[in-house]
Amino acid sequence: MEQFLEQLTNGLAVGSIYALIALGYTMVYGVLKLINFAHGDLFTYGAYLGLTLLTSFMLQDRLGLALGILVLAAMVMGLVAVVGVVLERAAYRPLRESPRLSAVVSALGASIFLQNTLMLIYGARYQVYPDVLPQDAVHLGGLTIPLVRVGVVAVSVVMMTVLYLFVQKTKIGTAIRAAAIDQGAARLMGIDVNRVIMIVFVIGPALGGAAGLLVGLYYGQISFTMGWTYGMKAFTAAILGGIGNIPGAMVGGLLLGVIEALGAAYLSVAWKDALAFAVLIVILIVRPSGLLGERVAEKV
Amino acid sequence: MKKAILALALGLCTLGTARADTVKIGLLAPITGSWASEGQEMKKNVELLAAEVNAKGGVAGKQVEVVVEDDGGDPRTASLAAQRLTTQGVVAVVGTYGSAVTEATQNIFDEAGIIQIANGSTAVRLTEKGLKNFLRTCPRDDEQGRVGAMVLEKMKAKKIALLHDSSAYSKGLADEINALLKAKKANVVFFDALTPKEQDYSAILTKLKAAGPDVVFFTGYYPEAGLLLKQKKQMGWKVPFIGGDAINNPDLVKIAGKEAAEGFQFLSPPVPKDLDTPEAKAYVVSYQKKYGEAPQSIYGVLAGDGFRVIVAALQASKGAGGEPLRAALGALKDFPGYTGKIAFNAKGDRVGELYRVYKVDKDGGFVLQK
Repeated sequence: MEQFLEQLTNGLAVGSIYALIALGYTMVYGVLKLINFAHGDLFTYGAYLGLTLLTSFMLQDRLGLALGILVLAAMVMGLVAVVGVVLERAAYRPLRESPRLSAVVSALGASIFLQNTLMLIYGARYQVYPDVLPQDAVHLGGLTIPLVRVGVVAVSVVMMTVLYLFVQKTKIGTAIRAAAIDQGAARLMGIDVNRVIMIVFVIGPALGGAAGLLVGLYYGQISFTMGWTYGMKAFTAAILGGIGNIPGAMVGGLLLGVIEALGAAYLSVAWKDALAFAVLIVILIVRPSGLLGERVAEKV
Repeated sequence: MKKAILALALGLCTLGTARADTVKIGLLAPITGSWASEGQEMKKNVELLAAEVNAKGGVAGKQVEVVVEDDGGDPRTASLAAQRLTTQGVVAVVGTYGSAVTEATQNIFDEAGIIQIANGSTAVRLTEKGLKNFLRTCPRDDEQGRVGAMVLEKMKAKKIALLHDSSAYSKGLADEINALLKAKKANVVFFDALTPKEQDYSAILTKLKAAGPDVVFFTGYYPEAGLLLKQKKQMGWKVPFIGGDAINNPDLVKIAGKEAAEGFQFLSPPVPKDLDTPEAKAYVVSYQKKYGEAPQSIYGVLAGDGFRVIVAALQASKGAGGEPLRAALGALKDFPGYTGKIAFNAKGDRVGELYRVYKVDKDGGFVLQK
């Protein structure tokens, strides 16, 4: 039982990071019907920018830990959002009217470009975050849970909730949902679709960048290729939950993390990915549009 | 039209002769991808040595030209890179690092009659295929397995856990150790694999912990080893970890943090700073002068040694490649390599014992265990 609970917390921590990244995939898909393969690399940019800002400004020493990290997170999210907007302008907007395949190829190219740019700037070595977060653990019965892990889950849940409320309750959110249902009709209703797409490319990358910063702070080790593994998993999570659906991405991410952890615990560690993908296949057979995806429902 | 073709052919001929006063040696290395730091160091070593050779008048009267191809640390990229090298007139190739990557290129070079000297690929089967043109400057995993099992025995561990990462090298080494331990009736309580490049290994560590081993032998690479050590400490679990030679990289301590890395032991050929011959020490100094830092990875130096034996053998074969070169390599005895004396057996394996045991001290230094 103890092992089960501990594995559950392991899974929730990884899963909440998957979920944060999955949101970027799902939002872009919802509005553009495009799988943004460069999204994993935007996540990596978040991790690297976070490292640079962390070590050059030492905000955590000047402003105190909590405020310092908060300002750092805001800076990272802002900068990655800028990269996201530039990416959309340069790689996707010129192909808006082209066949969908062209945009996907462009996304793959952008991914390679972003990844190698990072390597040329920072070098190929693994980069390491300084230890700034407290290394304490909470003891609950026989369970030892690192405090940072609780923080990771809490931060992700807060960000996802804010995003959900933003999309459901605000005017811009309504515009995003409208553009996701029917771009043409949205345009006729006076919605500036290009602006909506730009907003999506601000929010998605900002969340991805935040996830990158979280990974850097939590695990400490980052590499320029890490976006691939995480991107792959997050993309899976987005499909699992129903791509285009925001709560779906959250559920999919957490579920994938937990399945992996429990698979490692009760099957074989080597087989945990196979198990996770087997679950994905079964879910897609039973529900082709994912757990929360509905065929005609509004996406985003 | 015919005249034009003739002129073109003549032109190509003269071009060919114009280039004949250089001898080309290929370097196949992971310049990009997740082992890029190893690959870039391989390149630095080989290019420095080539410059030294050329400054002394080259080999057999010709200047050496190094042709670098990137294998990306990936078997598919590597086979394409190997094919490109075969079309560029290289007589021999140094590299590459990962066993699975090297395996994808072996037959390509062998069929083209090009000598290949791998520097980091320790998987046993690479030299068991009867390929005439394949050699390596690094030792083999069965040797490493033997030393590994010996260390475990010395620790008097009652319950042993083995963890690998499913790569050709890592699984091979884990199997090797497992077989030796089984033969000695040691109690292996855990044998499983992690997925490299993930960053969260808490699920695996939780499972390992439940198996209650006295010692864990991880046969993978340093990025994962660093994270395992770090997360093990976060969990508050104090079991000792041992690793194989792919963990020999100073970045291990950076990733794990000094506290978490302290006490970790690994098997490895000597690290660059423990190379003890005067030539090796002089080499480390000249490397430092050129690049501003000492060589970090032994595999870069092993690539350098691979390059040096090729140059020495080319001297003996008077610049000829193919069979004369292979014969000259086979005839090398006690060649003074930077990583120790080098000679090859009939299979192309390096002769002699290379493995040492290292322990990480509290300042994160790698200390040779006598």
